[in-house]
Amino acid sequence: MPVLEVKNLSVRYGGQVVLDDISFDLERGDALAVIGPNGSGKTALLRAILGAARYIGEVNLSPEIRIGYVPQKIDLERDLPITVKEFLALRSRSAPEKALEAVDLAPTFLNKRIGELSSGELQRVLIAWAIIGHPDLLLFDEPTASVDVAGQRTVYELLHKLQEEYNLALILISHDLTVVYRYANKVLCLNRQQVCFGAPDEVLTPAELAKLYGGDRKFYHHAHP
Amino acid sequence: MLTPELQIFIAGFLIAAAGGMLGSFALLRRMALVGDALSHVALPGIALGILLNFNLFLGAGAFLVLGTLGIWAVEHKTKLPVDTLVGVFFTLALAIGALITPEEEILDALFGDITQISQLDFWLAVAGSLVIMALLLFFARRFTLSLISPDLALSAGFRPHLLELSFLLIFALTVAVGIKFVGALLMGSLIIIPAATSRNIARSMNQYITLSVILGILGAILGILISRFYGLPPGPAFVLFAGALFFISIFFRR
Repeated sequence: MPVLEVKNLSVRYGGQVVLDDISFDLERGDALAVIGPNGSGKTALLRAILGAARYIGEVNLSPEIRIGYVPQKIDLERDLPITVKEFLALRSRSAPEKALEAVDLAPTFLNKRIGELSSGELQRVLIAWAIIGHPDLLLFDEPTASVDVAGQRTVYELLHKLQEEYNLALILISHDLTVVYRYANKVLCLNRQQVCFGAPDEVLTPAELAKLYGGDRKFYHHAHP
Repeated sequence: MLTPELQIFIAGFLIAAAGGMLGSFALLRRMALVGDALSHVALPGIALGILLNFNLFLGAGAFLVLGTLGIWAVEHKTKLPVDTLVGVFFTLALAIGALITPEEEILDALFGDITQISQLDFWLAVAGSLVIMALLLFFARRFTLSLISPDLALSAGFRPHLLELSFLLIFALTVAVGIKFVGALLMGSLIIIPAATSRNIARSMNQYITLSVILGILGAILGILISRFYGLPPGPAFVLFAGALFFISIFFRR
């Protein structure tokens, strides 16, 4: 039985169609990459799955499912008097050290305030926050700019490791096609409408990518055996 | 025996503690002015209470609950920012209150006077403050999370809309309880100033809430003492003292 099944999902903001007739499903252990240009409805899709955006159609989550959500950004005021330990305890009080260890942060971070963290550290804490609730489905919205490229790669390695360890279903929004080939076994291409869905090797053809990003897209995945 | 003096201290102590605790949550999401504005929504209720001669707490409370539900409902229907709505409701209520409050009562309604509280007021203040603090502590995790990030709250299985409504209702109850003490005009200060001071110094959420409560209590006790010895009204005395502490705390900002 799938962990998540999305059928004919449409989302409108105001009068504008943000997502139109999206259908796909996800099993435990799947890693689904959602790709598409800016404004193609990627974040809206995650928010609809979360229940934060109104939608038409169906979003069927398996019963008793626990969701972990790592938002693209979180508007925290820098002087918010909340320590990492207290922040994690908002989700679960069990073993905060272990959750930090899982995202490669030292236990000394527990007593730092979340406002003191760098954007990369904050992202790791947000991942720790998501996994401390033992999710069955993890939604990861990639930050567009705040995290440097070197840092970014290790975050994906981290997600990959966590996914294998806990056998969770993962949906990750990505702007980087190498990430898709390396870490995802399914890919969903969005341009408000569903351009493609399937295994990356099969559906990410130059023709589909051109359709998704417009004709002059220079990026292809070359080094593929 | 509870002498009137002791009653004033106890009521002031508890109201300030509840206000300080509520404020520490409200300031997690720049809701400082919501409190200021909400307190004015109570004015027409107070005026009606004076005119028709029933307990002011009930009049204020009824209007606050109605105002709160109105703000919440319109916010979710229109997606207008909550401070815009509160601004509109606030000036409306102030205008209505000013029109129907008898002139000689207007100062009391605006500035309050805890030295004039009745037996019923006293017990309402005690019970109200204790209920507020119990509710805040019970919902502390959920409120904190939905105030700092509704989406994270949703992912954890909470319902941020309902939590927001509950928080606003507790907010309204706090204003209703405190309004006798500092009056409508200064009610916001009871909620905002101790928390704002505490936020400058605190290094964790626990410290922040505890310190807000302590600062509220300290301000209330000193405000009442100052008003006894110098014959000032206790509301403004509280604000002056709490305000002074706030400015001192700026120098200790971490």
